[in-house]
Amino acid sequence: MKKFLFYISILFSVHMMAQDNNTALFNEANDLYNKGKYAEAIDKYRTILDHNMHSSELYFNLANANYKLNNIAPSIYYYEKALQLDPDDKDIKNNLAFARNMTIDAIDSIPEVGLSKVVHNTTNLYTTDTWAYISVVAVICFVILFLIYHFSYETLRKRTTFILSLVAIGVAVISLSSAFYRHTLEKNNHPAIVFAKESKVKSEPNVRSEESFRLHEGTKLQVTDTIGNWSEIKLSDGKTGWISNQDIRMLKR
Amino acid sequence: MTQLKHILITLLVFTTGIVSGQVEFKANVSKTTLGINERLRIEFEMNKDGDNFNPPDFSDFNVIGPQQSVSNSWINGVRTFKKTYTYFLTPTKRGTFTIGQASITIDGQVYKTIPQKITVTAAVDKPSDPNDPNYVASENIHLVAEVSKTNPYLNEAITVVYKLYVSPRVQVDTWNEKDSPRYNDFWSQNIDTQNQRVQTETYNGETYRSLILRKTVLYPQKTGKLNIEPLVLDMALRVPTNRRDIFGNYLLTRVNRTIAAGNKTIDVKPLPEKGKPADFTGAVGDYSFDVSSTKNTLNAGESLQIKVEVKGNGNLKLFKLPKVSLPSSLEVYEPEHKENISTNLGGMSGNVSDTYTVVPQYKGKYPIPSISFSYFDLKSQTYKRLSSDEMVVDVKEGPLNNADAQAQNALNSGAKQPVMLNKDQFAFIKTKTNFVSNDAEPFFNTRLFWILLLLPFIAIPIAILIRRNKAIRDADVRGNKIRKADKLAKKYLSAAKKSLGKKEAFYIALEKAVHNYLKARIHIETSELSKDKISELLRERQVEPDVIKDFLSIIESCDLARYTPMTVVTMQEDYEKASKTISLIDKQAR
Repeated sequence: MKKFLFYISILFSVHMMAQDNNTALFNEANDLYNKGKYAEAIDKYRTILDHNMHSSELYFNLANANYKLNNIAPSIYYYEKALQLDPDDKDIKNNLAFARNMTIDAIDSIPEVGLSKVVHNTTNLYTTDTWAYISVVAVICFVILFLIYHFSYETLRKRTTFILSLVAIGVAVISLSSAFYRHTLEKNNHPAIVFAKESKVKSEPNVRSEESFRLHEGTKLQVTDTIGNWSEIKLSDGKTGWISNQDIRMLKR
Repeated sequence: MTQLKHILITLLVFTTGIVSGQVEFKANVSKTTLGINERLRIEFEMNKDGDNFNPPDFSDFNVIGPQQSVSNSWINGVRTFKKTYTYFLTPTKRGTFTIGQASITIDGQVYKTIPQKITVTAAVDKPSDPNDPNYVASENIHLVAEVSKTNPYLNEAITVVYKLYVSPRVQVDTWNEKDSPRYNDFWSQNIDTQNQRVQTETYNGETYRSLILRKTVLYPQKTGKLNIEPLVLDMALRVPTNRRDIFGNYLLTRVNRTIAAGNKTIDVKPLPEKGKPADFTGAVGDYSFDVSSTKNTLNAGESLQIKVEVKGNGNLKLFKLPKVSLPSSLEVYEPEHKENISTNLGGMSGNVSDTYTVVPQYKGKYPIPSISFSYFDLKSQTYKRLSSDEMVVDVKEGPLNNADAQAQNALNSGAKQPVMLNKDQFAFIKTKTNFVSNDAEPFFNTRLFWILLLLPFIAIPIAILIRRNKAIRDADVRGNKIRKADKLAKKYLSAAKKSLGKKEAFYIALEKAVHNYLKARIHIETSELSKDKISELLRERQVEPDVIKDFLSIIESCDLARYTPMTVVTMQEDYEKASKTISLIDKQAR
């Protein structure tokens, strides 16, 4: 028992040390960024990523440094990464618009309106896992409140706990459905960014086939299928084609 | 000239006597080997006049002649006489023939010549009649096409120079081009040859006057064997004949002649496939590449020019300049194409450029991506790629590329100046963060998630059941008391139960348990613990005498056990007795 606790504590302290180490790296990188040494800052930010740690702020800063160096594709890639972790951040959206100005391809996207926009915005508040945690907590709250309601004899207490338990079950249902909604969205969502300066999109997944259109660095697209070294892609305006895997980088693993 | 001499000498011979000497009679042939289309001259020569000249049989030849000539000369009082019969023979067939003996009678004696062997071969190219004006013209005028390279690469510049060589013996009156060569499969450009001067040059070991008629630069557009058509000239010439005028000068005849520079075949090599860059558009030569912008910082709505320029030597007119790909948010107009090329014998040189006019509409930074230009370098015979540097156009002032920023601009035109947050700003980095593990497993839809989500619901009926059971138990007062006593006895005896079997440890634990129980239940101190005291106290609390007796007996057996052997069975009995007694005391004690 003691040994177990000892290991746990060691593990925990190592974890804490690593966390401190990463925070120190993050601050150093921020200093370098402020001094205009963007390439060095990028190196530091990337070491944090190499430790398998991330955060939306890290991606945001990394994207900013890449933007300052005019690296179009990496900056857009990391802004999108940051948006995945924090879908409603104003700063990220603002800077992403700046980075998108640098891209060559003009692709129309269909804007969302009405109810679907509301639903989308609501579910975008948290990630799938956060919604899942909220629903678990809400269910536990509901059970406790319900039991209090069930066992208590005072009228006032019975009333309040009853109403509160109803609210809790409501929260649980909404968050659970939000989690499901986002989960299915993410399951069908395989965004990627074009990293090649110019990439030829073919009509079939081979070199011989005809060229459908060309894409340039920094364009975001959806991967719908993969065969060998080729990915079938769909643009936001509905165009489809096949692109070589070397030319793109997936936003999700 | 010599003919005239001969006539004079012959006149002299007739007026003087004949000087006798050693007689010689011989046959001379101009050549022993000749082509079937050539002529042969045979001379029979004697140094004393004779009679009955009998020529041999020329059965295999057509014969012209004989011509007779006589020469007579005195030198230092010595007379020399020579008489010659000359025949011109044209062979009728190929083969080897023998011209037989000729005979003559001189001073009553018959002399004969030695037979001559003649070989007649196939026709030779030029029937060389030195007196035919056409032949003379063809011998003295040459039109030559000089090709700088017969084995060029595709799109490599070659030059063709047409030169006219005229020997000083003939005169050219006029010429005109009868047929100009067409250079199929070539890109060609003539170089101006006006003001060319006649030069003196050596051609085939003889001195000629030469004139460059035409210079052409060719860029082959096809691989393989390509033919350059000849240049054909019609010329009016004046050629000397073997006749002379009264002053002894040659008379000239006018000859019209068509001459052509021979066909030339050029073997064009394809450019090597190995290492051919993807962006190769056919440029061959030696180039430099430059992309420049007139401005790097400007405001939206102003214009700038981006110039893509290729400079150098090579097929400048024959390839496309690489295109500039610019961000979609820049307004770009069709490029203006400019060529500044001069062509000389080395090929084209100069520069070609495309100038793009660009008008940025929105504020921001716009990169002009690096453009690459590939060409085939003839010196090293490899492909080379030149890349421009990436440039950034910084648009300082101007509207932002989204709608609500424009709404903001409209608001700003009010009379009072509200302090507004400038939204058109590139946000600074964030300084605070919480790192989470990158490879965290997803929580949603895992087994743990469903357990955590559904378990609380199961907790509701369980809690209700537990509550109900508790209520029933609470209602049963007597049962509660018994349960409580049992619980206490068990609690105190648990240590003793553990050491059941080990005699000493068991009884020590049992004694301790009993004491502890008394301490807890009847509040007596260990110091005052004697049997009398205990029984008295228990009696005070209305415990039945039997039970007191049992209790005391347990204490007794505990003391006893230290000195006497005990079996496991006794220990078990004692343990049960103790637990029973304790629970009984608990029930009865008030």
